[in-house]
Amino acid sequence: MLGKRTLKGRIGFVIAVTLLVSFSLLPFAQIMSTSLKHQFDWGNPSLIPQVINLDAYKELLGLTEAKEVEIPVAIQKILDNPKLPKAKRDAIAAKFVSNDNLFPFGKYMLNSIVLSVGAASISLVFSIMGAYSISRLRFKGQVVIQRSVLFVYMVGGVLLMVPLYQMAMNLGLASSMWGSVFCLFVIYIVQTLPVGMYMLGNYFRGIPFALEEAAMMDGCSRQEAIIKVVLPLSLPMLATVFIYCFIIGWNEYLFASVFLKQYPEFHTLPLALQELFVSKNAIWDRIMAASMLTLAPIVICFLFASRFMKGGKTDGGVKG
Amino acid sequence: MTPLERAEARFGWKLVAPTILILSLLILYPLMYNVYLSFFDVQLNGNKHFVGFENYIKLLSNPDYYAAMWTTALYLLGTVIGTTVLGLAMALLLREPFKGRGLVNAAIMLPYVAPVISVVFGWQFLFDPISGVVNYLLVDVFHIWSERANLIGDPDSALGVVILFDIWKHAPIAYMLILSKLVSISRDQYEAASIDGYGPIGRFFHVTLPELHFVLATVVLLRLIWNLNRFEDVYLLAPNVQTLPIFTYYQAFTGVIDQGLAAATSVIQLAVLCVFIWFYIKKIMKW
Repeated sequence: MLGKRTLKGRIGFVIAVTLLVSFSLLPFAQIMSTSLKHQFDWGNPSLIPQVINLDAYKELLGLTEAKEVEIPVAIQKILDNPKLPKAKRDAIAAKFVSNDNLFPFGKYMLNSIVLSVGAASISLVFSIMGAYSISRLRFKGQVVIQRSVLFVYMVGGVLLMVPLYQMAMNLGLASSMWGSVFCLFVIYIVQTLPVGMYMLGNYFRGIPFALEEAAMMDGCSRQEAIIKVVLPLSLPMLATVFIYCFIIGWNEYLFASVFLKQYPEFHTLPLALQELFVSKNAIWDRIMAASMLTLAPIVICFLFASRFMKGGKTDGGVKG
Repeated sequence: MTPLERAEARFGWKLVAPTILILSLLILYPLMYNVYLSFFDVQLNGNKHFVGFENYIKLLSNPDYYAAMWTTALYLLGTVIGTTVLGLAMALLLREPFKGRGLVNAAIMLPYVAPVISVVFGWQFLFDPISGVVNYLLVDVFHIWSERANLIGDPDSALGVVILFDIWKHAPIAYMLILSKLVSISRDQYEAASIDGYGPIGRFFHVTLPELHFVLATVVLLRLIWNLNRFEDVYLLAPNVQTLPIFTYYQAFTGVIDQGLAAATSVIQLAVLCVFIWFYIKKIMKW
């Protein structure tokens, strides 16, 4: 239609596609390039570093050797004082060691993984049950539930932050560390559950009922038919839904900042990265390397999920 | 009702019960609780006392609120038009199969799947006044501006950057939706239009657009619904661009904290959102 058959048309096509791909990939190229550059190279507009610098990655992944920290002589004298209780001595010594790793990237990554994988798993189980129910079984009120799920799905987190925070406060959860973590975990489940139900519901509707019926005729109960027939058939979709839920948790910033800001040891990656950026020891190469490492699991998941999403038929239901 | 049907209904309820419980407790109840809170002066620690409509009066007499509304309107306008037009252009460009289309598709989808937090700093760097390549191109290479500017530091130009960021990130999803409709338009229609004497442009307006108007409406409504509540993409890239969600966030958790006021803004925003959702349900889902 665009007249691709002529030479002119073909050249135009190639130029347009190149521009489009560059527009999509430029920020990624910039991130990767800066993460590999030495500081003197930052102002250089070329994307190719003059010298490759892997220090930022090494530092984030904890591959650098623990630096010997010089303890000032005066402090060393205090430490050598035999009268000093051991606990106190350790506390003073720790001050000179803990500065060593300002950004415990591994810990934040682990926090993020635990929260998002945990929430996505629980969410997947409930979505399977709920989606099966509203798409395959007939009962009164089913349609109402179906529609409410769509509505709830479209309500953004911003509208819920004040009431959820106040509810957590009233229950006394928001004032304790584990209470806050628990709140966040539950919120991640809530945020992913409607998506999962919506996607799975559409999928289950497409599986021929005859298959289940056959299993039930062979003496399976309905539960057994679900476990032995429906779930194995939907395995690719289950993986996709799990990945989507995981990505939502992995990306989430708003509620993490509301509930976890004061508990640095539980910071998730988005929160930690933002804090690192705002704090003035932000160093571009470290920030960019951290970005790359945050991006990596998602890209891997995406490549995995896109193999299952044939033709990208996501039905417009995908959050974004 | 036969016993079998009754058993099926009971099983159905049993399966969906946990979900209903969770969603009503943590989404529907909070939405109502939010309306309740908007009539109170609410402290961060949970203390509150009834103030009636005071929060709403305070809100509607606050010029910052109108500024936030205006910013949100511009943000919605820019992102909806930009995303739809770019998505349509991408779909038209890439509709015919060609060698390497899979790779091009993967590259295009990458911005959409990448976590916001992992790309905002790349964007910050691109627009950085000292090291950024945007300033380098505009000032040193093409001499369009006479001096380097901090585009993200200034709220007015930052709004433009934030809109461009959203288009970059969400045009792929518009593209996917439009493409799946576009490839289903039959060749016969185009041939018929050719016989009627329409050129490529005429065919676009007489065949493609009428076929696409439904999917375009879907894209526009979905963009409106998701972007009205968009928080991360704006706040993390340019915290000085105050769209309504960011305005609410600042009210609720920073500076002079006024959670009752924040609740009131959320209530008004929910009402607007409901209008969009209603349109979506009526026009797109056709319930």
